[in-house]
Amino acid sequence: MDSMSVISYYFRLIVTYATYYLTYYHDLFVEYPFEVQTAVWAQQWALIMMLMIVVLLARKHKQRRQVRHARKKLQKLFGDAVQQVFNTDDRMMTREEIVKLFKITEKEANRRELLKNNMERREMCYYIYDSLIHDEVASPTKHGNIHLLMEIFNLPSFLETEVSVGSMRNKVVAMDMIRSFKLYISPWVINKLLNSKQVRVRRLAMYASVMSSSDSELEYFETDFFDENCCIFDEIELGYTLHRRRAAGLKLPNLAHWAHFQKNDNTKCMFVRLMRRFDQREYCEQLRSLFLESKHKKLIEEISRTWGYLHYTDGEQLLVNTMLTQPDDTKVAIMHAVTRMASGQNLELLLDGYQNTTNPHVRFEALRCMWSYGDEGRRMLNKLEAEAEPADLKFFAFFHNPITLEKIPLDKEQAYHPSVETVYAMSY
Amino acid sequence: MWLQIYYIFCYIIFGYSMAIMAGYLYFILQSYRAQHKLSIDMPDDETIKYLMKGSPLTPAVSIIAPAYNEEVTIIDNVHSLMQIDYPDYEIIIINDASSDRTLELLIENFEMVEVPYDVAMRVPSKPIKRVLKSTNPAYSKLVVVDKERGGRKSDGSNAGINVCSNKYFVCTDVDCIVEPMALYRMMWLVVNSHVPTIGVSATMLMSNGCVVGDGRVVEAKVPKRILPMFQQLEYMRSFLIGKLGWSTINALPNISGGFGLFDTDVVVKSGGYDNTSMAEDVDMLLRMVTYMKNSGQPFRIAQVPKVCCWTEGPPTLKALYRQRVRWARGLFEIMSNHRKLILNPHYGPIGAFTLPYIFLFEFMAPMLELFGYLFMIWLLFVGGINWGTAFIIFGMVYLFSVLMAFFLLYFDYSTEAVNWHNREHSYLHLLVAACLEPIIYHPLISYCSNVGYFQYITKTTAVWKPIQRQGVKKKTS
Repeated sequence: MDSMSVISYYFRLIVTYATYYLTYYHDLFVEYPFEVQTAVWAQQWALIMMLMIVVLLARKHKQRRQVRHARKKLQKLFGDAVQQVFNTDDRMMTREEIVKLFKITEKEANRRELLKNNMERREMCYYIYDSLIHDEVASPTKHGNIHLLMEIFNLPSFLETEVSVGSMRNKVVAMDMIRSFKLYISPWVINKLLNSKQVRVRRLAMYASVMSSSDSELEYFETDFFDENCCIFDEIELGYTLHRRRAAGLKLPNLAHWAHFQKNDNTKCMFVRLMRRFDQREYCEQLRSLFLESKHKKLIEEISRTWGYLHYTDGEQLLVNTMLTQPDDTKVAIMHAVTRMASGQNLELLLDGYQNTTNPHVRFEALRCMWSYGDEGRRMLNKLEAEAEPADLKFFAFFHNPITLEKIPLDKEQAYHPSVETVYAMSY
Repeated sequence: MWLQIYYIFCYIIFGYSMAIMAGYLYFILQSYRAQHKLSIDMPDDETIKYLMKGSPLTPAVSIIAPAYNEEVTIIDNVHSLMQIDYPDYEIIIINDASSDRTLELLIENFEMVEVPYDVAMRVPSKPIKRVLKSTNPAYSKLVVVDKERGGRKSDGSNAGINVCSNKYFVCTDVDCIVEPMALYRMMWLVVNSHVPTIGVSATMLMSNGCVVGDGRVVEAKVPKRILPMFQQLEYMRSFLIGKLGWSTINALPNISGGFGLFDTDVVVKSGGYDNTSMAEDVDMLLRMVTYMKNSGQPFRIAQVPKVCCWTEGPPTLKALYRQRVRWARGLFEIMSNHRKLILNPHYGPIGAFTLPYIFLFEFMAPMLELFGYLFMIWLLFVGGINWGTAFIIFGMVYLFSVLMAFFLLYFDYSTEAVNWHNREHSYLHLLVAACLEPIIYHPLISYCSNVGYFQYITKTTAVWKPIQRQGVKKKTS
């Protein structure tokens, strides 16, 4: 008898005996009132469920032990060799070199059966992934070596199989890996997942596609974000994907164009912020129409900040002209932008920002910008302090204390300043 | 006639018990659903950490920890809080006019000096005397607030809210041991949400019996003493089944005061913690929900299914009695102060389901149990008990209670909610506790609840006494 027959024999035996005893126990109480019968019925089900949980726990426990065992084995067999491939950052390794490193014959490598089962393949992927994820910027050479290494173990096709036929959890993990390893994935596998009902699956499919697409294909991905309401984590993940893409030496998409194409204003903001992060100064001009047409406060704020960060001085005059008509948060963003551009022409704007408002947050931010503007700005700050009312001196105290002074530069969008923050909240 | 009333009453009680069990089954299903969804949506800890650490978009968090006469442990505890792994956070320790050397020790050890902070009182608290920051850049995350004595944790927490500068804050006790990944786990739920998350409840377990080293739990163990062991089981059930279940329908009624994350703005607009309330955490959350619903804003309250914080539970019967009496008074107060929310669909699932459920099955249950015990004694005297039927019904309730523990262990194992030092050993202990709980622990808690209700009705003055800590085992690296 093979093992399956043994299992099915014992399974049938257990089911038969269990049914017999449960029926017997139940029949004992047939004549009893309703509540007793219900209680007996509930007891039986509780016992069955307990038994099922014990079986499930035992099964899970066995699986975990196998996984642990496989992990140990792989680490022992291939750990050093994998690390060596990872440490070779300066040149592309050859296939023969890697095969030799793993102490396997070319014949074994060609047979592509170095890993016995899917569990071992999965664990090998995890092992490489864990090493890669701690690497801040993996160079194109390193990516090339990792691809070669994965090719020897036949992992790219395994990951593709996981994406197409794996469980939902395995699909998600495999797509995350495909994105991180920058592997190519067949469009017919990924395309159906781009329309998945599961948000996480849909998003990861999108990122995996963005990561593995060629430069010319990339421009079409703008449509995949259309009508999507993205959250902060989406932005974090898209930022990470683009970061990986850039590190691998590939071109980034025109994010200003993507921003234009979106329906949702928050998604537009996301792409404008990403432009800032990826230094896309060359596309700043394309944001001008968005700035002029949009009525979304946050979007105008983000465009102003982006222009400031990227030193897009052509937009400075537009910012200056519109500042006084903007709400307070946008005013602050424009002052920051002008300070970062530091063209030396619009210091008066900061003075206006300080004097033409009663909002303490805006006033403090104006002073902070003056402080960051350079010598000229600091001279203006000192002059204002000399002329300030006693009630306003609290703003200037921050520029004299060495602890709070550390937080004044415009590294963060908001200074570490609880008092003004709180007063600002009160003013609403 | 009397016999008919008696039968109707018995069937009502039977139906009530079945409804409680059905409720628990519903929670089991819901928490399974939540865990399954999170297993797909939530990346593993390392990935979350990697993605969030490297991103400038990760929101900053303030950790607020009020302290009163904590000179023995304050330095270790602050060091423990500083070990939390998160890219941008500040720790605000509020010294509630300690009569011992708590403040002096903080100043000496962390090189604190007074800095110009002009704090606006956004939520009511006793006046703040001064705010201190460290001259040592290594402690730049630390802010110490020295304030006038408020007498309760809620007053200290409110002072912390007045000082905190970040959009989110975590309220905790200074003696809690926080898991290094806790903030990542909580903030992931915030950043991954499409609607504003106003609060995140963290899973909190008992540190009794655990081994602590370098400010973190290095060996998670089940308490050896029976009383904390029961509480461990109770906490696990409450967080991993109850709260996780409620969170799936956005109806979480409570974020524990021990470790919970809140949106600062919403808390300020809801008035902060109520200094007179016995259950200030539930009270504040319900006011936050009321504010959000009244202003027509969408919101979400989430639950982290993995352990984030360890706290020492009452190790003695006396301490447990005091704690549970206080909780029962708090529950009574909540039911009476927020009665307009009960069965009111305007307040969403919390009004329509959670509060009616709490009223029927958590608030009423101890009173019905007490009545049941008295009724049973009377039946014993008049010889009205059908022992066979009684045993079968008791067997059903008992087996169901043990079944809950089985489900709990299964959830814990499949999600690795707790990284137990010796899993098999811990599970065995928890199962033993589950078998004894309905007979020993449950009647005790029922008794405490009834005492609490009685004290609330008779307006007996509540005296809040801190729990006498026994400490945890320490391991030096």
